[in-house]
Amino acid sequence: MPDKVAPHGVDYPIRHLRFGWYSFLAFATLGLVLETLHGFKIRAYLDLTNETRRLMWTLAHAHGTLLSLLNVLFALTLRLFPEVRVRHLKAVSNCLILATLLLPGGFLIAGFVTYGGDPGIGILVVPIGAVLLLIAICMLARGERDPGIPGSRNR
Amino acid sequence: MQLERRSNEFWADFDDPDFRGTGEPPRITRQVVMLTGSHQQQQYWYSTGRERLVSKLPAIYLIAEKAWIPRQAAFLHAPIGSSGSDTGAWNAVCIACHTTSGRPEIDSPFGSRPVLKQVFESQVAEFGIACESCHGPGDAHAQANRNPVRRYRLHLTGGNDPTIVQPMKLTPAASSQVCGQCHSVWEFYDIAGERQANTAGLPYRPGDELRDTRFVAQPTVNINSPTMKDILSGDPAFVTDSFWSDGMIRVSGREYNGLVDSPCFKLATDARRTMTCLSCHTMHEARNDPQPVGDWAAAHQLGAGMKGNEACLQCHPALRKNLELHTKHRGPSGNLCYNCHMPYTTYGLLRSLRSHQISSPSVGSSVSTGRPNACNLCHLDKTLAWTAGKLGQWYKSPIPALSQEEQTISAAVLWSLRGDAGQRALIAWSMGWKPAQEASGISWMAPLLGQLLDDPYEAVRLITYRSLHGLPGFGEFKYNVMAQDQRMAVAEASAIWERTVDPKTRRTEPELLLDSHGNVNLDLLKQLKRERNDRPMSLRE
Repeated sequence: MPDKVAPHGVDYPIRHLRFGWYSFLAFATLGLVLETLHGFKIRAYLDLTNETRRLMWTLAHAHGTLLSLLNVLFALTLRLFPEVRVRHLKAVSNCLILATLLLPGGFLIAGFVTYGGDPGIGILVVPIGAVLLLIAICMLARGERDPGIPGSRNR
Repeated sequence: MQLERRSNEFWADFDDPDFRGTGEPPRITRQVVMLTGSHQQQQYWYSTGRERLVSKLPAIYLIAEKAWIPRQAAFLHAPIGSSGSDTGAWNAVCIACHTTSGRPEIDSPFGSRPVLKQVFESQVAEFGIACESCHGPGDAHAQANRNPVRRYRLHLTGGNDPTIVQPMKLTPAASSQVCGQCHSVWEFYDIAGERQANTAGLPYRPGDELRDTRFVAQPTVNINSPTMKDILSGDPAFVTDSFWSDGMIRVSGREYNGLVDSPCFKLATDARRTMTCLSCHTMHEARNDPQPVGDWAAAHQLGAGMKGNEACLQCHPALRKNLELHTKHRGPSGNLCYNCHMPYTTYGLLRSLRSHQISSPSVGSSVSTGRPNACNLCHLDKTLAWTAGKLGQWYKSPIPALSQEEQTISAAVLWSLRGDAGQRALIAWSMGWKPAQEASGISWMAPLLGQLLDDPYEAVRLITYRSLHGLPGFGEFKYNVMAQDQRMAVAEASAIWERTVDPKTRRTEPELLLDSHGNVNLDLLKQLKRERNDRPMSLRE
């Protein structure tokens, strides 16, 4: 079994697997809440004047669930491809987790108070989350084959 | 008229309204290209095939009844026997307020030559009322607000955006004029102004002084002005077809005229306590308004909570504590400020509408102008003398000299039988108005309404039928508003009333032309009807 456990004992595959599924649960639940708002024709969500709120919360749901699955995918990548050496694994992990919180969270908060066609001030954390996500993806993409891992040459 | 749908196009086949020869007019088939109206009725416009000239179909669609009626029946116009031609009216007149930045672009003043010899190249920026109608030109606003930092600075500080007009932040006079640009009776000062607007569009922009570029008719102020005299020389009915004789507006869609003559506007000294259109109405539904947007739109776009007394109490808080002390009424209808101070004395689109000139009930005004007062529009079974007595007792209002009939016969009965077409329409509508029915009872109304079924004005007949239809026994009553001879309908209405209302429970007041047995005093009824004011009138609703 390849070692994806940091010296201080963080098991990254497990961390992201657990975080991914829990956040998936949270954002899937948000989807259920949004469906309920549709079902009961809640004006605070569906009125024409609340179009921005609807967009923000829909984006929060969509980004949240997709980023949750990305965490699961990241965990599986670490587990299934042990020969891939990810530099700054801790930074990548933190970026990905923060992106999963900030990006959809920003959309969610931005939908509570809106200014006509403009979302609430919470939207400011969305680009921060987006940048962290891009950093994480970039660092992951630059992952190298670890020559020290047995069997990696056969791949 | 025959309608046909061809794929996504709508076509109509009808008699050519612009045929000026002898004999039967030829049939023409034209494509419907536009409709105006959304709440009460829909009017359809067809392409004439000549440049951008459009004309109106000879029938209009009533939304509530889901029925087509001849166009002339939809307006309170002197009976002419046909719908006539409205060719060019949209290009020349309607374009001003049913589009945004419309330009008629007619080669000569509308009406100065036969319409089919004129050239129409009308242009609009947008159909309907769009943002720039009320907020003014928006290009600079759109450019400036591409910058998100600027937008959020304004959001978070609540600062005023100088790149766009916010009617709510204008002075009361300027704010009201934004609405008044359409909701007023106005004319160009001269032909040069008309020609300028013809090619460049109306010069008024929100925030401007409306009267700088157009003459707003306000008979209480400018009836003797040179411009008014000039207009009246070419159009003698310009004032009488839109205003009561004391200068109060009597047609719908011209609420600005009512506002500017209201004490709440003209006597106000504090801008924060000056009534404007936006004191009660809002053009975008308030966020805290719990009702669905469709209901809000149907309820005259009133602001949140403004359906009731709050509209008035926001400036008259002292009345909040004990309203009944002021109104002398119990129950919701008699305690609603609107019902006494904004009675249904304006007319338009086959119904009565609330006057937007805030006033107090006055029998003297009713006598001098013929305008029904708020009391007698609800207490339809009472005489003017009764009302004068109550107002004198409660509010020390002066009691005017009244004729014998005004003292002994219900005011509503007199207006419906002897009044002009506008008065008859208002009373016929009020007899179908629930608060009036509750205050006056309904068992006596049918014989009177029946007399209006053969009114010379189709609009009066149609309103009468609507009110009659809601009375007991009249649910199945069939009536052809366009029939030439309505004697059968009058007789049938009388017969239904005889059958439906038990003689033992009939009212017996002579004020209602009923004798001690509850029978109608036909002699007096016919005598009053012979005295009907048949002055030809065409209310410019």
